[in-house]
Amino acid sequence: MLKGIHQQLDPQESPAFFIQGPKPFSRLMFFCALSLVMMAIDARFEYLGQIRQWFSAALHPLEVVASAPNEWGRNIHTYFTSHNQLIQDNFKLKQQALIDHAALQRLATVDAENAHLRTLLAGDAPIIPQATLGEVLHMGRDPFSNIITLNRGSRHGVTPGQAVVDEQGVVGQITRVYPFTSEVTLITDKKLSIPIQIERNQLRAIAFGEGQRNTLDIPYLPTSVDIKVGDKLVTSGIDGVYPAGLAVAVVTQIRQNQDSPFAKIISRPIAGVNNHKHVLILKVPTSPPSSPVTNNKLMLPRNNAQHLDQSVVDILQQNNAAVDPHPVSELPSLDTTTPESSPENQAAAQPAAAPDNAQRPTAAERP
Amino acid sequence: MKPVKFSTFFFTLLAGLVIQLYPWSNTGLILRPDFLLVIAVYWLLQAPYHCNIGWVWFAGLLVDLATGSLLGQHALSFSITAFLGLIYQRRLVLFNAWQLYLYVIFLFAAQRVLILLLKLFAGSELPDWTYGLPIISDLILWQIMIVWFGALSRPKKL
Repeated sequence: MLKGIHQQLDPQESPAFFIQGPKPFSRLMFFCALSLVMMAIDARFEYLGQIRQWFSAALHPLEVVASAPNEWGRNIHTYFTSHNQLIQDNFKLKQQALIDHAALQRLATVDAENAHLRTLLAGDAPIIPQATLGEVLHMGRDPFSNIITLNRGSRHGVTPGQAVVDEQGVVGQITRVYPFTSEVTLITDKKLSIPIQIERNQLRAIAFGEGQRNTLDIPYLPTSVDIKVGDKLVTSGIDGVYPAGLAVAVVTQIRQNQDSPFAKIISRPIAGVNNHKHVLILKVPTSPPSSPVTNNKLMLPRNNAQHLDQSVVDILQQNNAAVDPHPVSELPSLDTTTPESSPENQAAAQPAAAPDNAQRPTAAERP
Repeated sequence: MKPVKFSTFFFTLLAGLVIQLYPWSNTGLILRPDFLLVIAVYWLLQAPYHCNIGWVWFAGLLVDLATGSLLGQHALSFSITAFLGLIYQRRLVLFNAWQLYLYVIFLFAAQRVLILLLKLFAGSELPDWTYGLPIISDLILWQIMIVWFGALSRPKKL
């Protein structure tokens, strides 16, 4: 049936002599117009997203078939991993676990102390992200974009915008989600930018991917900025996408151009952006942490004081119940913040919170 | 030469799609031929009664969906390549083997240049020289197609 229609419609089959010239051309015009319209729609509107979703779901079985040989190969490799190798790995992992345990013990006390100090300053509780483990299915099939595909999709609760990290640092961000898979745009992609902070002096900036070169560029920093080769860049956490303090990159090159007031700062990503198998997908906090405390800092409305102090006491009580190793001895110092002395408390809290905000002006004034 | 069955055409295209979907990485990704392009263009020239510009366009659309690029980019470049192929389709039987290879290389190169232009318009950056390497693997795949399904032959009714 289908074949019959083709034979009827196909100009190539037609015995007429002059018909074969224009017919493919009109066909070409039609399909060119169609593709141009599709490109315009895809670029400007989101209508085609749904079609993409369906298609991806339809292609999924084929994808499974296509990656089957790879899977078998890996399984065979795993099966023949030698006994010796396993013992070595086990030994290494045990050592690592010991080291990590020691660090973790310190972390627990530091965490408790940090929570306590934060409540003293009436700051927000730090956001501890939840994570899902994802496996890298394949690199991007398109040589023009730095994308990897993970085996977790909307069926597993992945949403666009989530941060993706590996054991060393930030890998990228989820940009497109299909039912069973999702696409991660790497931080080296030209389209992705990431808010960072220099670990050494807390200077904030934004790093942009440089595409093919697998590096990050930090534009708009003046030539006199305090940055050195080897400085570690971490996420600043002010965007609500990446939790603060994740390693991003190491500065590898600083070039100063006579003609430009800005330094050309190149850095190399720390995470194995191109060579990892497993990554963590971090859950974005559902709503940005809005707190009455920040409002208070800005406007200092006195009638909010009662509410603020109540929330502080609540947080403190929760924290004490949960972790704080030395709770009661320090409580009295906070008790002075209850209603009668609240204006002073806020005045005291403000300078204490200020250093975080004060970093930026100093950095900007430096030139 | 016997006309090619529609099923042969369809399943080779399907096989091309599956291989395209294989998780290519690193060197494989750089050298990977455009399976769907080569197969579709082969059938376009070999069996025009099955494969027309529309099919080649559809193959391009599949590549767009598989790569996650802007929908229509590969489809557009594939259909223009198909048209370029069709211009000389009737005269191909007069070409000797080397002329044919040159013609096919021209087609594959044209497709890559078209995609490059479209990507540059969309704001991508210029890739390095390895971008041209798949043309060689395209040619190898073309040779495999010829070995399996026969060299391009005179159309049934001229």
